[in-house]
Amino acid sequence: MTPFYAFDAFDYTTAMVLGTILGFFFGLVLEGSGFGKAENLINQFYGDDMRVFKVMFSAIVTAMVGMGILGGVGLMDLSAVSIPVTYLWPQIVGGLLLGVGFAVSGYCPGTAVVATGTGYVDGVMTLAGILAGSVAFGFVYPALEGFYVSGEMGNLQLTELMGLPWPVMALIVTLVAIGCFFGAEYVERWLAVRRDHAPPPEAPAVRNASLGAMVALALLGVLSLAVPTTTEAVAERDIDTIDALTLAQQIVEQPTEVYIVDLRSAEACVAERIQGALCLTEEDPDAAFLADMPATRTLVLYGEGDLVGVPASAQQYAGAVFALEGGYASFTQAVLEAPTPPANPTPEAVATYRLTSELHGYFTGTASKAPPIQARPKAVERKVKKGGGC
Amino acid sequence: MGSTTNAEPAPYWNPYAAGFALGLVLLATYVLFGWGLGSSSAPTRLAVAAMDVVAPAYTEAHGYWGAYVAGGENPLQDWMVFEVIGVFFGGIVGAYSSGRMQMSPAVDKGPRIGSGTRLTAAFAGGIILGFAARLARGCTSGQALTGGAVLAVGSWAFMLAVFAGAYATAPFIRRLWR
Repeated sequence: MTPFYAFDAFDYTTAMVLGTILGFFFGLVLEGSGFGKAENLINQFYGDDMRVFKVMFSAIVTAMVGMGILGGVGLMDLSAVSIPVTYLWPQIVGGLLLGVGFAVSGYCPGTAVVATGTGYVDGVMTLAGILAGSVAFGFVYPALEGFYVSGEMGNLQLTELMGLPWPVMALIVTLVAIGCFFGAEYVERWLAVRRDHAPPPEAPAVRNASLGAMVALALLGVLSLAVPTTTEAVAERDIDTIDALTLAQQIVEQPTEVYIVDLRSAEACVAERIQGALCLTEEDPDAAFLADMPATRTLVLYGEGDLVGVPASAQQYAGAVFALEGGYASFTQAVLEAPTPPANPTPEAVATYRLTSELHGYFTGTASKAPPIQARPKAVERKVKKGGGC
Repeated sequence: MGSTTNAEPAPYWNPYAAGFALGLVLLATYVLFGWGLGSSSAPTRLAVAAMDVVAPAYTEAHGYWGAYVAGGENPLQDWMVFEVIGVFFGGIVGAYSSGRMQMSPAVDKGPRIGSGTRLTAAFAGGIILGFAARLARGCTSGQALTGGAVLAVGSWAFMLAVFAGAYATAPFIRRLWR
């Protein structure tokens, strides 16, 4: 099941190496597109050569259609894909400003990196400006804080907005994009005649093959909707969640009432796991053994974080099935790390603190006496939502 | 203009074929990681790392930068930073292999301005880019391309705004380019 990283298929170092390799190909394609040279980017905005638009929308269509197909045939869990959160107003104003910066500098951030690699000093200066602009944003941020989070709409996608499944939306976007490509070529030729210069070189055969492939894949995506997937079968049974503290109490008080199964990689589980948890083995990475287990206990499953799905075998488990909220990370934080006394000692907070201290002692073997509670001023916390992307 | 490796650089890729290839790279990123490509957060992280050296206490307490360095975290130890290092080397290999590499530092500019004006404009435009990318939580890579491919509403609004902003600006700065 993909995305692989969401299912713990490889570790941090591998992730960084793969990220560098993917970036390498990203840079290679940007350079091949001509985007290491400002002239080729700026031509878009004078209508002389619209390759920025053509490359960008072909890429969007290809990735979008590809994900639609993989999701449709059940190879990719589209719900595990990160969708940028919409903050409409800062995104529109930021977009307008970025367009101004694009036209003035001749680059956008990614292409400035490629231009720097190609040996253009204007690319280097653009990058230096981007650094300065990032710092400037930080200094102005306190004044913009309210605006920065305005127009929040969550992970809203066009599919939800239009009430259409991903592959159908992808087909519509593909057809609109292709219409726009022919429109762009028409404008290029028209302006070339008016301005008395040669239009950008055309290669109808390559264009038709590329666009034909996109349409064929988009249609395949729509067809893939007819493929029954295991993902749908999994979704039939609702898995309740259990929080780390409740699970910890359960382990202390009635350990024989639960089966705990660690769904992380065998390696991670062998290194450290929740006390009493069963690890997956190399022979049975999909936890098929669960289907045959007697339903005498409650089954608790956990991954590194929240589980994005449970194995099909767990669906067949006859007893109650729970997923650990926040996964092993949450358990570590709640129980294995020494609790800190509450800053604001309300009776509830103190009771929780006593409980976590006891559990912490039990699971770590320190069993230390809880330190006295000190009244401290309440810390002001501000949670900043960071743009994941670019 | 600096000298290039060959007298005749290779032609650029067909834009649709290049877009198809870029789409496959983006798709591979989503399949492997569940997220997409980006660019502007790497320079931002570099800026935060510099701020953290110059004024660590201020940076850690800062409402925006604090999250990048929370818990003594190194802001440069991030997937996106590695990815952008890859972009840089991909650009070099692409330029070198196609004969487009500028073997001595070059300036790409319009015919009516000098290099000084061009470099000043590049820096000024860069400042706007850097600021705008943080305000919008991403740039043409992380928002328009990546968010566009997963049909995020805000990313599409951002993308249309980028084109609108650039088209609205272009006529006023013709001197820089034409």
